[in-house]
Amino acid sequence: MGLLQPELGLLFWTSLAFGVVLFLLCKFGFPVILRSVEERRKFIDSSIDAAHEAEVRLERVTLDSEAIVEKAEAERQMILRSAGEERDRIVTEARAKAEEEARRIVAEAREQATEEREQILRDGRQQVAALAVALSEKLLREELRDRQSQTKLADRLLDEINSQTTNTEA
Amino acid sequence: MRFVINILVLLSLLAVEPVWAQTEEAVAQAEAVEETIEASEQGEELDVKQVVLSHIADSYEWHICSVGERHISVPLPVIVRSQSGEWHCFSSSKLHHGHQYEGFHIAEEGAYAGKIVEQTADGEQIRPLDFSITKTVAGLFVNCAVLLLIVLCVARRYRNDQHDSKAKGGLAGVLEMVIESVMDGIIIPCVGPNYRKFAPYLLTAFFFIFVNNLMGLIPIFPAGANVTGNIAVTLVLAMATFFAVNIFGTKDYWKEIFWPEVPTWLKVPIPIMPAIEFIGLFTKPFSLMIRLFANILAGHAIILILTCIVFATAKMGAAVNGAMSAVSVVLSIFMNCLELLVAFLQAFVFTMLSAVFIGAAQHTEEHEHETKQIENNTNN
Amino acid sequence: METLGILGATFAAAIAVLGAAFGISKIGKATMEASARQPEVADKLRTTMIIAAALIEGVALFAVAVCFMAL
Repeated sequence: MGLLQPELGLLFWTSLAFGVVLFLLCKFGFPVILRSVEERRKFIDSSIDAAHEAEVRLERVTLDSEAIVEKAEAERQMILRSAGEERDRIVTEARAKAEEEARRIVAEAREQATEEREQILRDGRQQVAALAVALSEKLLREELRDRQSQTKLADRLLDEINSQTTNTEA
Repeated sequence: MRFVINILVLLSLLAVEPVWAQTEEAVAQAEAVEETIEASEQGEELDVKQVVLSHIADSYEWHICSVGERHISVPLPVIVRSQSGEWHCFSSSKLHHGHQYEGFHIAEEGAYAGKIVEQTADGEQIRPLDFSITKTVAGLFVNCAVLLLIVLCVARRYRNDQHDSKAKGGLAGVLEMVIESVMDGIIIPCVGPNYRKFAPYLLTAFFFIFVNNLMGLIPIFPAGANVTGNIAVTLVLAMATFFAVNIFGTKDYWKEIFWPEVPTWLKVPIPIMPAIEFIGLFTKPFSLMIRLFANILAGHAIILILTCIVFATAKMGAAVNGAMSAVSVVLSIFMNCLELLVAFLQAFVFTMLSAVFIGAAQHTEEHEHETKQIENNTNN
Repeated sequence: METLGILGATFAAAIAVLGAAFGISKIGKATMEASARQPEVADKLRTTMIIAAALIEGVALFAVAVCFMAL
């Protein structure tokens, strides 16, 4: 059958045409297209990777900032707390100091008052003593006008001294 | 677009045909027709087989259409080497109607029917060395030009804006999509790890076949030649695959052929398996050749036969002819759609089988290891 | 006699085509069932199916070519 017999001329021309097409396309056609397709694929892949990385980084940054905010919050709390404590401490300290001061002042005043009272008492006693001495002088002078009474007094005084010494000896 | 053209052509056939039928009826009814016309009409009995074969087979001129008695065709150069060893180159229009030119004429019958033969002195017909640019060759050149134009234009566009990594639109986008699907669907999975080496060849084969198939479906002049439905063309393609498989075949591949891993009694003393494997070496490209050839040939033949229904029923009266024409058009449209699919599918199958054969010839222990690793990597 | 030869060749072609049709139908059926069962490997199955169908078709075409030559 003619259809199943390849013609020599046609074989030659087909080989030539296919060879030329194959050469041209392998040289200038497909490698260029394949390369740029591959490059684009790589570019897309790397872009996706970069996007992923950026996302991860963003997440990390968000986490970091959250952590920072939290930390700042905690610090603020701490500062507030310590400030409160400090205030309390200062207040209590001041109160204690003031109380002490007040106590000291009161004590001093009391001491002074006591001293003054004693002074007054001492003064009063001296005056009373001087008055008593003056009075007893006057009384003695009145009583010792005669001899007899003088002797009597002397006796009594001697007795008294005696009893006093015995008391001490005893 | 091509499809639309196909439909338009078929519709125009439909539109023209009833006129023909009516005139014939009128002729029959009038009975005042000249004898010669009647005789010629009877002589013009449509020979479907002849029409189909004349399209499918190669010819020395590119017949476009016939208007009445006038045949409009493009003469093509005839290049033959005569018995005496000199080359003759002349237009095929010199050989019309069995004319003899420089001792050559187209044989009417015999073993070389339809081919150029040389008449020797003793009246014998000898087939000269024939390198004529026949219809198939001319169609092949046109199709190659189209293919080169498309691919090189796109490639130039890619080269020109290399740094623009955006996806291309238009023709480049379409071509890229097809290339990517061929790469990802056939070449990378079938060839294996060193697919890069064979990708340009396989892509060229794919697009060569695809473009030739599609161009064969366009019924208008510069296209429409039955290129991939010619066994010489498919033979060259199959040979290319054969060489690609066997030249780059590895040691393991040859060992698989001559010392396959089968029970020893199948190899010694009668090498049954090696013989089968060795025959398989040739039947693989042979089946590639026959498959492409037969599919495209059958497609062309079916479409032509369906179109011929219109003219074959022309003498059966207007009603039958009209109905059959409608059937013919519908079936032709359907077959054209199917042939579009077949055009792609055959290119796809040819490329896939070539890739599988090449991949099998690239098979080595190391590669198997590598493929496993790659698979593991992809799985991970 | 020649007519008988033609008849024989066409019958042989018909039988070859029957064989191919049977084989390809079995492949198509098996692939459809398999991809209905496991849709995730449908692409891989399709590729394998085309290869297997192409091999069968190759044999059938081989037979048809022989018939053609006998014609």
